[in-house]
Amino acid sequence: MGNLFPNLITIGIIAVSILIFSTFTLLAFNLTSFLKNWEDKIEVIAYLKRGTPSSEVEPLLNKTRLLEGVEIVRYVSPYDAMTFMETKLGGQKNLLQGIQPALLPPSFEIQLKKDYRNSARINEVVTRLREMAQFEEIQYGQEWVETFSALVHILRLTQWILGGLLLIAIVFITSNTLQLTISSRREEIKVMHWVGASPGFIRVPFYVEGLIQGLLGGGLAIFFLFLLHQGLLLHIPPSMQAWLAKVPVLFLPPETIAWIILGGMVLGFFGSFVASMRVLKYK
Amino acid sequence: MNEPMIEIHHVFKTYPSQISALSDITIEILSGEFAFVVGPSGSGKSTLLRILCCAERPTDGDVVVDGMEITRPGFKKIHQLRRRMGIVSQDFKFLRDRTVNENVAFALEVTGHTRKEAKSEASEMLRRIGLEEREEDPILALSAGEQQRVAIARALVNSPPLILADEPTGNLDAKMTLDVMRIFSDFNNQGTTIVFATQFTGLIKRFPYRVIQILNGQILNGKKEVVNEIREVKAGE
Repeated sequence: MGNLFPNLITIGIIAVSILIFSTFTLLAFNLTSFLKNWEDKIEVIAYLKRGTPSSEVEPLLNKTRLLEGVEIVRYVSPYDAMTFMETKLGGQKNLLQGIQPALLPPSFEIQLKKDYRNSARINEVVTRLREMAQFEEIQYGQEWVETFSALVHILRLTQWILGGLLLIAIVFITSNTLQLTISSRREEIKVMHWVGASPGFIRVPFYVEGLIQGLLGGGLAIFFLFLLHQGLLLHIPPSMQAWLAKVPVLFLPPETIAWIILGGMVLGFFGSFVASMRVLKYK
Repeated sequence: MNEPMIEIHHVFKTYPSQISALSDITIEILSGEFAFVVGPSGSGKSTLLRILCCAERPTDGDVVVDGMEITRPGFKKIHQLRRRMGIVSQDFKFLRDRTVNENVAFALEVTGHTRKEAKSEASEMLRRIGLEEREEDPILALSAGEQQRVAIARALVNSPPLILADEPTGNLDAKMTLDVMRIFSDFNNQGTTIVFATQFTGLIKRFPYRVIQILNGQILNGKKEVVNEIREVKAGE
């Protein structure tokens, strides 16, 4: 009973530390998943110069198809572009009244192979497209992809820096709490030393205690994160719900949960190991 | 010819306060021997026994116990050494919240016996020492003399090849002292080496075992002695 309070404090602190870490993990996981979704849909639009003779379109189309990283190329004529815009505008398509399709530039919609759908490799394709004189402008949402990638990168970095700091904190706290536990059982430990108990026999219960603290702390952290996640989903304003239907806010996958709980157990064990090295020397 | 169980070569022990507890001690105790270590309070008997069980390290000198060089730098097999010995210390070292049986059984449990085996063997040892009726009582409910017998039972329960007993009869009355001495003698007859520290010379007159006299940290004689030649040594003599 005397050990209950320090044990609860340790479990609570481990839970809070892992909750902070796993919140960042969840954020990074969702942003990465969103970025991946977005990257899957990424395509390059290459606008042809006005007045490009139609006889040049077919050879250019073939040349583009042969570029490394290109999967599908579709020619969008000015008329196709007009139809697309009308569809997009729906009820407001009268805004396009008076605009002749000939004013719109023809373009190639280029879908990239899976490996090329990221900000680094997309540039390789774009550079080669820019070398072709028939293209006037190339668009692929470059800034957006780079900013978003940077954001995910920063989040991941924060997650691991914070994780590192929390790791040290958890080891320190577990080790100190276990020292209190060990201290409260010093009489028993002294007798164990006296009657020849092996160091393993004396230390293993404390290692198990550290593992259990880590397991409970990690489990509680995941439970609270799940509650937070569910609470957040329940309180999403209706205006955002339609948007979120396309980009679902995911919870951590089971293997990540398992790794986080396992990480908590390893930290609990390591904390008890440090404590036992400090105070369980054979006397 | 028996092998030596304990070899002590030129052992010195000086505490940080420059108090010399032992000075140039050299003794050999053979396997199966019963040796009284006799001397007044403060003569160095307890220090010598504490060195033998690795509870203290000598300032200088070499000690070999049961073939283990316990003074070798980096000696880490203290638990193996202690499993080979039963120790009766003056401060008993009990688990204060446990029963008499649990305290004795604990020595067996930590060395790999099942709880059931340990309880049964502890009961048998407590019966031999005359405490069978108190075995389920809390250890603190026992008198000092009874606690001393529990400490003896715990030291003997593993049937170790070596027993180090520091004033094991200090709290016992004359009849109980004789009973306990008979138990030690029985173990010795079965081949157990016994080092028995005491300041009561009456015991050595009654039990004709080897006597090692120690005074002010020095051995007066460590050879086989005729009981009648033992001097009544007093502190400061």
